[in-house]
Amino acid sequence: MTSAVPGGPALPRPRVLLLVPARTYRAAGFLLAAGRMGLDLVVGSDGALPLGGRPVIPVDPGDPEASVRRILARAGPVDAVVAADTPMLVLAAAVAARMGLPHNPVEAVLNATGKDRQRLRWAAADVTQPSFRIVSAAAPDTAICDAARAVGFPCVVKAVSLSASQGVLRADDPASAVTAARRIRRILAAAGRSATESLLVEEYLPGPELSIDGLLAGGELTVTAVFDKPATPGGPTFEETLLVTPSRLPRPVLSEAIGTAGQAACALGLTRGPIHAELRIDDRGGQPRAAMLELAARCIGGLCSRALRFPGGASLEELVLGNALGQPPPAAGSRDAVRPSGVFMLPVPRPGVLRAVEGREGAAAVPGITGLTITIPLGQRVQPFPDGDRYLGFIFAEAGTPGEVQDALITASGQLRVVIG
Amino acid sequence: MTGQADLAAAVQAVLERTVLPSVIARGGAVRVAVTADGVVTADGVVTLEATGSPGAVFPLAARIEALIRTAVPDVTAVRLITPGQAGSPSGAAGPTEADLAESARRVLDAEVNPAIAAHRGHVSVEGCEQGWVRIRLEGGCQGCSLAEVTVRQGIEPLLRARLPAMTGLADITDHEAGTEPFFSPEKR
Repeated sequence: MTSAVPGGPALPRPRVLLLVPARTYRAAGFLLAAGRMGLDLVVGSDGALPLGGRPVIPVDPGDPEASVRRILARAGPVDAVVAADTPMLVLAAAVAARMGLPHNPVEAVLNATGKDRQRLRWAAADVTQPSFRIVSAAAPDTAICDAARAVGFPCVVKAVSLSASQGVLRADDPASAVTAARRIRRILAAAGRSATESLLVEEYLPGPELSIDGLLAGGELTVTAVFDKPATPGGPTFEETLLVTPSRLPRPVLSEAIGTAGQAACALGLTRGPIHAELRIDDRGGQPRAAMLELAARCIGGLCSRALRFPGGASLEELVLGNALGQPPPAAGSRDAVRPSGVFMLPVPRPGVLRAVEGREGAAAVPGITGLTITIPLGQRVQPFPDGDRYLGFIFAEAGTPGEVQDALITASGQLRVVIG
Repeated sequence: MTGQADLAAAVQAVLERTVLPSVIARGGAVRVAVTADGVVTADGVVTLEATGSPGAVFPLAARIEALIRTAVPDVTAVRLITPGQAGSPSGAAGPTEADLAESARRVLDAEVNPAIAAHRGHVSVEGCEQGWVRIRLEGGCQGCSLAEVTVRQGIEPLLRARLPAMTGLADITDHEAGTEPFFSPEKR
C-alpha cells in the first residue's frame, strides 16, 4: 500500500473502490487508468469471480443495502468510490455516503437515472428543454394521444429508464404515438423493467445534436469534450452513430449549450464527478436555443472515450479517477492543441444472428482511422434500435480537421459489410 | 545524438496521436526503443517495444509502420519487439523460463481454472519470455467484459505473490475473436 519515491519517504498510494458492472465496455479503461496512476484498486462487481489474487467484492446493485454492508465489511479504508458504469452509480453514491467520502448525494444520482425525474427537476429549475408529459403505465391509449397532442407533432415517445437510443421513437400523429408506446412497453418488458414504469412523451426538437462531457468539482463544470453528432437521424429511431470533436458549432451557441448543461447538472443536485449531457440546438424561429435531452452522472458510454486523449497522454478514465480523488480538472482549453478525433458506433442494420463483419482491413486502411473494434461476438443474436441495446463495434479516427475526421469515419464505415443471417 | 533524440520524439509523437489510445485501451502500450547510447535507428529502421497485451499491438504492426513512415520520412522500416527480445532496452534475461512457465501453469490450474470454470472459462500459459508470462484466456473468458478484472485483479496479483521471479503478465488473447463470452458489454 505504499509507493517508493526515489530519494524520499514512501507515500501511501491512493486507494480507490471501483464498482464494475458485469456487462460494461468500461472495465478495461478504468483498470488500465488505475494501473497507470499507480492506484491501489479494490473492485466490487456483480459478475467477477472471487479469484485468489485480490478477490473482488461481490455486490448486487439491485440490493444496495446488503451490498453496502458487504463493502463496508470487506473493502477497508478507501480514498474514493467510483462507478465504472451506470448500473453502479447509485450504489457508489450510497457507499461513499456511508464511508463519509465526498460524492454526489444518492438523491441527485437517482434524479439523473430517470428521464422523467430529470424533466421534472429541469422544469422546476427553468432549464431549457422540450415540452413534455409523463404518462403512467396504467394510463389508457387515449392518455398517450392526449400527451402527444399537448406537446405537438411530431413528438418523441421514450422509456424513462433505458439509455443509448433504446426505447425511443418519433411519432408524427396520434396513431403512431400509440403504436410507439405499445412497442416501447414491449421493449421494457423484454429488458426486465418494471411494468409500472411511466413513459415520457416530449416535443420533437429539430436541429443539430451534440454531447457535452465534463467533470464537476464543487458544482463547477469543467468541459472535457464536446462531440458534434452530425449523423443523428430525425427519427423514427434515434441511433447515434457519428461523434466528432471538437464541435464545429458557433462559439456563442456552444457557450450557451455548456451553460445549459451545467445548469441541468446543478438542477439535479450533482456537484462532483463526470457528467455526460446530450442536447439539441433547436433552430426553429431563427434564434438557436440549446435544449437538454438527457444527462447521465457518468462519462460518455461505450468505447467512445477512446477517441479522447488529454495532456500527458491521460485518458478520460484517468481524469475521472483523479476527480474522485480531489485532483483539479484539466485547465479549460487544455485539449485545444489535441488533434480533432471522432468515433463511429456501428449500428445493427437488422435483426438476426451476426455472422461476419467483412471489409475490416479496408476500413482500417482508410487514412485517419486509428482503430476498429467489433464488440459483439460472431454467432450472437442482434437487434437494431430501438429494440436492441448494443452497437456492433466502434471505429476511431483522428485527422487535421473535424471534417476530415467525419469523412474518414464515414468512408471507413462504408467499407464494412455486416453479414446477419 | 540530437538528431536521434528528435527522431525518437517525432516517432513517439506519431504513436501518441494515432494508435496509442487504442492500444492502451486494449491493454497494451508501445514506445520507441532507445539503446543505452541513445541510438534510435540504424539505416532507417526504428525499433518499437510493445508491452502489456501483445494482442493490442501486433495486429496493428502494418498500420503502425505505415503511419510512421508517412509522418517521419527518415524512417524506412519499423521493427516491433517485446520486452527482453534482442534489441530491447528493458529486458533482463531470465534463467529459468521453462520453470517459470510451468510454475505459472501449476498455480493457474490449481487456483484459477477451477474457479473460472464456473463461467465456462479457462486460462492457459502460452510461454514465458524474459520473465514475462504470456497467458491466453479461453471459453467464457475470451471477450468477456470482465476479462480485464479477471487478469489484473485476480490472476496477476496471484501469480506475482506465488512467483516472485515473474516480471510481468501479458494477456495475448484475441478477445474480439471470442464467440461465447460469459458477459457481453452493453452500452449503458
